[in-house]
Amino acid sequence: MFIDVHVHPAFFEPINGDGAREQMRHDALDIHKNGVAPLEHIFNQMACAGLDKLCLLPQDYTARLGCAVVENEEIRRLVDLAPERFIGFASVDPMDKDAPDKLEDAFTRLKLRGLKLHPGRQRFRPDDARLEPIYAVCERYDRPVLFHAGLSWEPDTLSEYGRPLLFEPLAESHPRLRFCLGHFGWPWVRETAMLLLKYPNVYADTACLYFDSALEFYTQTFTRDIPVTWIDRSLRHQVMFGSNNPRFEQIRMADAIGRIGLRDSTLSLIRGENAAVFLGGL
Amino acid sequence: MYVKTILLRTKTYNEMTVLTPLVEEIVAESGVRQGMVTVLTKHTTTGVTVNEALECLESDIQNALALFAPEDRPYSHARMLRDYGSTAGNPTGHLKAMLTGNHCHFPVVDGKMIRGGAQDIWFCEFDGPAQRNILVLVEGE
Repeated sequence: MFIDVHVHPAFFEPINGDGAREQMRHDALDIHKNGVAPLEHIFNQMACAGLDKLCLLPQDYTARLGCAVVENEEIRRLVDLAPERFIGFASVDPMDKDAPDKLEDAFTRLKLRGLKLHPGRQRFRPDDARLEPIYAVCERYDRPVLFHAGLSWEPDTLSEYGRPLLFEPLAESHPRLRFCLGHFGWPWVRETAMLLLKYPNVYADTACLYFDSALEFYTQTFTRDIPVTWIDRSLRHQVMFGSNNPRFEQIRMADAIGRIGLRDSTLSLIRGENAAVFLGGL
Repeated sequence: MYVKTILLRTKTYNEMTVLTPLVEEIVAESGVRQGMVTVLTKHTTTGVTVNEALECLESDIQNALALFAPEDRPYSHARMLRDYGSTAGNPTGHLKAMLTGNHCHFPVVDGKMIRGGAQDIWFCEFDGPAQRNILVLVEGE
């Protein structure tokens, strides 16, 4: 089982068709010249990458953008089109006073499997007291949170909100809350490794490719910035494969993760077994 | 000029597709009796080439191109592109496309495309899977 836990479906054809909304997505994400992708094309990409399932992540930036880039209802529609391939996440804007109710609705009525938040875009620190009711909903329904962490290429973002150290109070105060630092918190990958080592409820995904080719970047990040032995020996149950598709190279990243010197048993964990635990089952 | 677009949804990273029957169909429907047909890909990591449609040759062509542009060399075209907001990871596709070229021409005589007995038109995908557009332009009278 090979799962990509970090996919943004903003340009999947079934939720596009309105030109103005599609353009909003290009502008809001600063992703251009990619067009919309029919599901058949997505499935072809998955086959080339060897992927079995994708976690689809929406983005509710209502407070700063005026709308959600991708809504929870749209994620549900996509999952219904390919329930054997797609795992749907929810998004809420923490600045919305109704966010906890909306999240509960997403977990119960829409049956979404986790929450995606972006501190750098939504402008909150992970230990902001306003998030407590949202975390409480996640804990009540045993749903994980996938945070954007580290650098964000999106406009209107500040990287300081994604610094891994800022997540330590949350890890310490909510030991039952499973959460993932997206993009391995790059460039602060040692801070991410520190948090994973100390807190078993903290995960990280590999959705980073900011320089060079996928293999070159993974080699630099996961064998030099931190030694490959750190993941292979100590953090192997907390790292999940993610690509951040469509910004990064899903197929080449899926190939690269298998070529940096990790044991086969570690690769199995990273490719899918850890995601199954993170999600609370498949 | 009669213009038609062939839409292809490729399924694998590198693949070759024979376009000859589709192009002959378009020539026939164009109504052009004497002239020229051009087949032109609209992409920079795909090619259009003319060769014999044999699976052995297809394999040899792919292997020869891979020798020229192996995947793991330190290419410069491997970085974030600001215009796209995404990473460039397909230098080999661009280089292979440079070798095959992006178009071919055939004469049209008495309403039919004239080609040699071993000549077929190949569309070459070098960065799939992808959605591709190939222009067929039939000029003449």
